[in-house]
Amino acid sequence: MMQKAVIIDDERLARNELKKLLQDFPEVEVIGEAANATEGIEKIESLSPDLIFLDIQMPGKTGFDMLCELEKAPHVIFTTAYDEFALRAFEVNALDYLMKPVEPKRLADALQKLQQADEKEIAASLTGINRGMLNENDQVFVKDGERCWFVKLAEVRLFESVGNYAKVFFAGNKPLILKSLNALEERLDEKVFFRANRKHIVNLRMIDKVEPYFNGGLLLDLKGGEKIEVSRRQAVKFKEMMSL
Amino acid sequence: MLNKISRYWWCQIIGWSANIAISVFFVTTFGKPSKAYFLSLLCTCILGIIVTHIMRLNIFFLKVLEKPLKKQILYFVVLTIVFSILLGIISESVDYLLGYNPERLQKFSRAERLFLSSFNALWLVLIWNMVYYIYHYVESNRRQQLDTLRLEAMVKSLELKTIKSHINPHFIFNALNSIRALVDENPQRARTAITELSNILRSSMQAEKMETVPLQQELDIVKDYLALEHMRFEERLNIEMDIDEDTLNQPIPPMMLQTLVENAIKHGISKQINGGLIRITSDFKNNHHELVVQNSGRLNGNKTLNAEGFGIKSTQDRLNLLYQGKADFYIHDIEGGLVESKVTMPVSMP
Repeated sequence: MMQKAVIIDDERLARNELKKLLQDFPEVEVIGEAANATEGIEKIESLSPDLIFLDIQMPGKTGFDMLCELEKAPHVIFTTAYDEFALRAFEVNALDYLMKPVEPKRLADALQKLQQADEKEIAASLTGINRGMLNENDQVFVKDGERCWFVKLAEVRLFESVGNYAKVFFAGNKPLILKSLNALEERLDEKVFFRANRKHIVNLRMIDKVEPYFNGGLLLDLKGGEKIEVSRRQAVKFKEMMSL
Repeated sequence: MLNKISRYWWCQIIGWSANIAISVFFVTTFGKPSKAYFLSLLCTCILGIIVTHIMRLNIFFLKVLEKPLKKQILYFVVLTIVFSILLGIISESVDYLLGYNPERLQKFSRAERLFLSSFNALWLVLIWNMVYYIYHYVESNRRQQLDTLRLEAMVKSLELKTIKSHINPHFIFNALNSIRALVDENPQRARTAITELSNILRSSMQAEKMETVPLQQELDIVKDYLALEHMRFEERLNIEMDIDEDTLNQPIPPMMLQTLVENAIKHGISKQINGGLIRITSDFKNNHHELVVQNSGRLNGNKTLNAEGFGIKSTQDRLNLLYQGKADFYIHDIEGGLVESKVTMPVSMP
């Protein structure tokens, strides 16, 4: 399958070098370049590439910061010279990265790994095609201090509203992302993500137990141990959905 | 020959000779000693040397000096008593064989004589032991102090080394990446870039060997460094230099200016989308040599200062180590949207 790629790096020579290396891979077509994070976001939004090659250290915003601002992150291969901080982030989260100067063999490996992940996703996404909506296999990039993750929506148990931010609960982590709960609700698949109350959106697949609660409400026990109250009005909707 | 006699044997000889001298002095002052007395005294001293030497072998064998202080004192007391009895018995027997002091033989029983003799020996052995332990105590203290000093000196030189050899790997790999891109695009420039990079690497390795280098030499490195960074940043990096030619022979710590310029690029140029300016100035002012690096940008309070950490701290430490407080370094925001780092060093007369 043809991959459309955007290269984001502040150094012209570094972009050229990568383009030259990519000439040996006909399955990757470079459709755009950007010299900083702001340009990068523009290019990603206008060209919607399948893949970006992203430098971490850039003027203005870092590559990580840029990813956090994206609604949904495309596949990312980080490129960096030597950077202890970034290396740590990679090792912790097993993100894919290339060290500059890039070894052609490593580039080939990274692209192959990507293709495999892609094939899996295509198989998975055949079930529900709804454009504009985020599907379960879409990933968001979250950053909490020094740590960063790509999170598949399917792995998220719960979104909790904290002012303008939302706390994302997945595995043992709960970092904040700069998105309001209402904005999230609009984009999330309502078959999977359910607005339980004013402050919480839960992943229906992550519910362990349902108990009756005061006032005709419900109490949901999530797989991570969180207990979320469902308001009376939403409880009616919840029962309707579940009885189908 | 004399040099070959160890300090221990000198002490033995001098100590026992002193014993003989003092005894002879008192005896001749207060009476007329017999020939037998001198013979007995000499024998006692020779025996004393032999017995205390055996005691010393015991101290070695039991490794008394390596034990904790309380145990040392215990061993000290026990050894003193045992060996003074030993010396007492032997010297009494010798006196008996020599037939020295026949009145004493009649006056005291055998046991009493042994006791008296041992008591006399106790003083000698006690003094011997005291001298021996005090000498070793003082010696080990001195050695410990010496070790501490040596350790401190080593730490200091290691510190200097790690500070000096600091060249940012991020820079090296980025430069290599740019060079690889240039190999096709501009082979001539790629060749020069390789030379520039080798110069920097070479001098950062040599920097470990030297305390100071002439400014001229350091500037050559900085120019190579800036040339490489210019290759990366292209039109985003503007360079200005204003160097007073008389300062070119002034000694400065190697790789210090380089570190300052590296920081200026890292925090001034690479953070800004449109890049900025690096200005290097070297001049004499108020009887001091002033080295200034300015770059576009702001310090942003503590955040940047912390991030800059290594550069600032290491520069300060190096200046303190080299000039003992006679040099000054500070970094601050100045007018025109610039950050200035300034080093003031004493002028060196050739």
